Amino acid sequence: MKNYSLYNITGQIRKKLFSSESLLVRIFNDPQPIPRKVPDYMRKKGGILYWTGALIMITFIYEIITGLVILIYYEPSNPYVSTESFINSVPFGSLILTTHLYAAYAMIFLIYVHLLRNLFVGAYKKPREIQWITGIVLLVMTIGLSFFGYSMSGDALAADAVGVGQTIAGGTPSIGTYVRTIFFGTGTSLTLFQSMLAWHIILAAGVGFLFAIHFFIAEFNTIMPSRKEAKYRAPALDTDPGTYKPWFPYNLMYMMQYLVIVFGAVILIPSLLAISPGIPPLFSPFPQAAAGAALPPGFPSYPPWFLLFVYKELDFTIVTNLTPFWSTVIFVGAPLLYLLLIPFIDRKPTLSMVDRPLTVALAITGTIYLIGLSTWGALSPHIQEHTPEVLAFFIIPAAAAILLSYYTAGRVREGRMDVRTEIPLMVLLAMTGLTAFILGLSISTVMASVTGSSLAALVLMATAVAVEVSIAMGVIYGIIPDGKPLEIPWIKKFPVSAVLGFGALGILIFISFLPVGSVYNQSLYGIGLGIIFILAGMMIRVYRKEAYGE
Amino acid sequence: MQTEDSVKSPEGKEGLESQSRRSFLKMMMVFAVGAAAIGTMRGGIQSLARLPPQALNTFPSLTLVNSSGAPIKTADIPINSALGVLFPYPLTNEPNFLLRLGDKTGKDVAVTPQKVSIPDTGGSFLSPGGVGPYKSVVAASAICQHAGCLFPQLRFYPPTSSSYPGLIQCGCHGSQYDPYKGFSVVSTPARSPLPNVALSYDVTTDTYQAVGMIGPVIFNHSNDLSGGTAAKSSTSTVTEQSA
Repeated sequence: MKNYSLYNITGQIRKKLFSSESLLVRIFNDPQPIPRKVPDYMRKKGGILYWTGALIMITFIYEIITGLVILIYYEPSNPYVSTESFINSVPFGSLILTTHLYAAYAMIFLIYVHLLRNLFVGAYKKPREIQWITGIVLLVMTIGLSFFGYSMSGDALAADAVGVGQTIAGGTPSIGTYVRTIFFGTGTSLTLFQSMLAWHIILAAGVGFLFAIHFFIAEFNTIMPSRKEAKYRAPALDTDPGTYKPWFPYNLMYMMQYLVIVFGAVILIPSLLAISPGIPPLFSPFPQAAAGAALPPGFPSYPPWFLLFVYKELDFTIVTNLTPFWSTVIFVGAPLLYLLLIPFIDRKPTLSMVDRPLTVALAITGTIYLIGLSTWGALSPHIQEHTPEVLAFFIIPAAAAILLSYYTAGRVREGRMDVRTEIPLMVLLAMTGLTAFILGLSISTVMASVTGSSLAALVLMATAVAVEVSIAMGVIYGIIPDGKPLEIPWIKKFPVSAVLGFGALGILIFISFLPVGSVYNQSLYGIGLGIIFILAGMMIRVYRKEAYGE
Repeated sequence: MQTEDSVKSPEGKEGLESQSRRSFLKMMMVFAVGAAAIGTMRGGIQSLARLPPQALNTFPSLTLVNSSGAPIKTADIPINSALGVLFPYPLTNEPNFLLRLGDKTGKDVAVTPQKVSIPDTGGSFLSPGGVGPYKSVVAASAICQHAGCLFPQLRFYPPTSSSYPGLIQCGCHGSQYDPYKGFSVVSTPARSPLPNVALSYDVTTDTYQAVGMIGPVIFNHSNDLSGGTAAKSSTSTVTEQSA
């Protein structure tokens, strides 16, 4: 091992790839049953954290279905007009396009959730290193896929995002022109949109293919059991003691439940946004004004929200001497490199967060950077930021997170604190943060122009924040007991399920009479359909409880 | 669903009551999931199943012109030409033959309106007949009614030709039509005559106008006026294509 001659290194690689211990060889020679059975606790309360990958898959399926419909209508020679006419003239076009956008948003958001969850629980550790690396590659591919998809509408925001993308790609040392023409065509509008459409589809196919590999390795390595089961030691493997329930119908129904709920959410949310006034361009489900058209004064030129962090780093005076290409390499490349290498940096077998305070602190810091840079980019786009502020932004959260992590880890180790039971609370706090952010946006909307609808939005969001804060306080101070499974008596289950089942039928009948000629009616249809999906998900939940006792 | 029904609920509830509860829940679940599926299906089907847009509501009157925009005169139309003398009508993706029919000696033949049967439907129509000073100028869709083949596969063979004299023959699958008899079917596999173009002839200026379509619908169109774009001007340009 000490001899690093070239021959030795290639020998090592060959051994890694083709020895009888290599993942590749083991998968081919000893294929595992797919899909695997899983322990019951993964389908019970809180078990959703074991299925974040499945949720991503569900959004990806939704994307493929809607994307193929849009593909039939999209004209690269006429991107903006064909997008607008898809929205306005094709029956359900508006619903399909806006939900395609929001399912992509949901997919990216869920990928971050999946990434963080696996980072916190140490899922990248032996034997899941390769699985982790394919996941990071999938993240990058999905962001690229979404960038091209977002840019294909040819509206003002897309033109701006494409401009930034072209500058970054064109700045690649010595082969910039080639990289730019590969991704963005030869300079004409037709080649631009033709190649963006092509890359959108190529990357979608790539994501599908790599996902299959990711999934196959995951099945081979078994789903990661709860860390308690694994005694907080890697390798954490799940072995069926012979008591696991069969995949059909238990897991199938569980997956169906989440499939209809996720579909419902991605149909419902953009439909609600579509009929709400005063939605900022960043979250509008519709394309903005055509590229090159006269824009309203003060109209911000935003990239899609999931790229805002890249956008903001270009505003730092500290990097103005660098080209956009190199600042992207530093600000995006460095975290990615860290994520790719983490299985080989954090090699200790412990899965306990208390024993890995630095990893946990860096994960929290990264999350703060991502959200912070994005919010900063949204609130002050294109405004130069001077070095002291930038340094403060980067140093303070990192220092705070590292100090707090070590402090908390010490307290927990001494047995004076228990954070393990607080996962629902953390999720609630995260949701409260998000709602508060939207509340802030609606306050700024009201400041800009006081209308009935903007006031209504303000009141709604303020109420949501108040409710979330009250529940959080209630849980913290022990007013609301946590975590006891409630046994719902039949006398309540019967009317609830009747409301769910007949309610869904009733809404279906109602929306069936909606003429879908207008965008507004399609949004109403989307709201109704989204609610039906969520009712169906709840109904499956009730059924699983009664029939399977889960 | 043998497996689910045989599963014991945690409280050990079993028997008829538990069964009927489950059936009820199952029914509600089917209702809700079914409603979601039907609502989605309507969206999917309706967004894909669209009719081609109607480009025009009535047949336009388009003056036949040459490539420089001057109206075609009778002398400009060659008698018994084997070339593809074509003009688009009523939409730009609907080409038609413009034929000046003659006999073997090259003299104009007057084409009289006649009843043309449509074997496919069992119906018939009255062909518009020839126009012009000699009643010899006729026009019809240049898209084969069998499989949509175009010129030069579908072409007119003059009466002097050794093969298919005086007929329009399609090289793709062998359909034959008789332009002297309202483009009626002479030989299958086509089961429908070529749709006739109604021409109007202005004696004082010696010009021709296409004013309508008579007979079956043009191949692959849901009607003659949809599934394409309308001409931007009130003229249709006659082009001459060689094989």
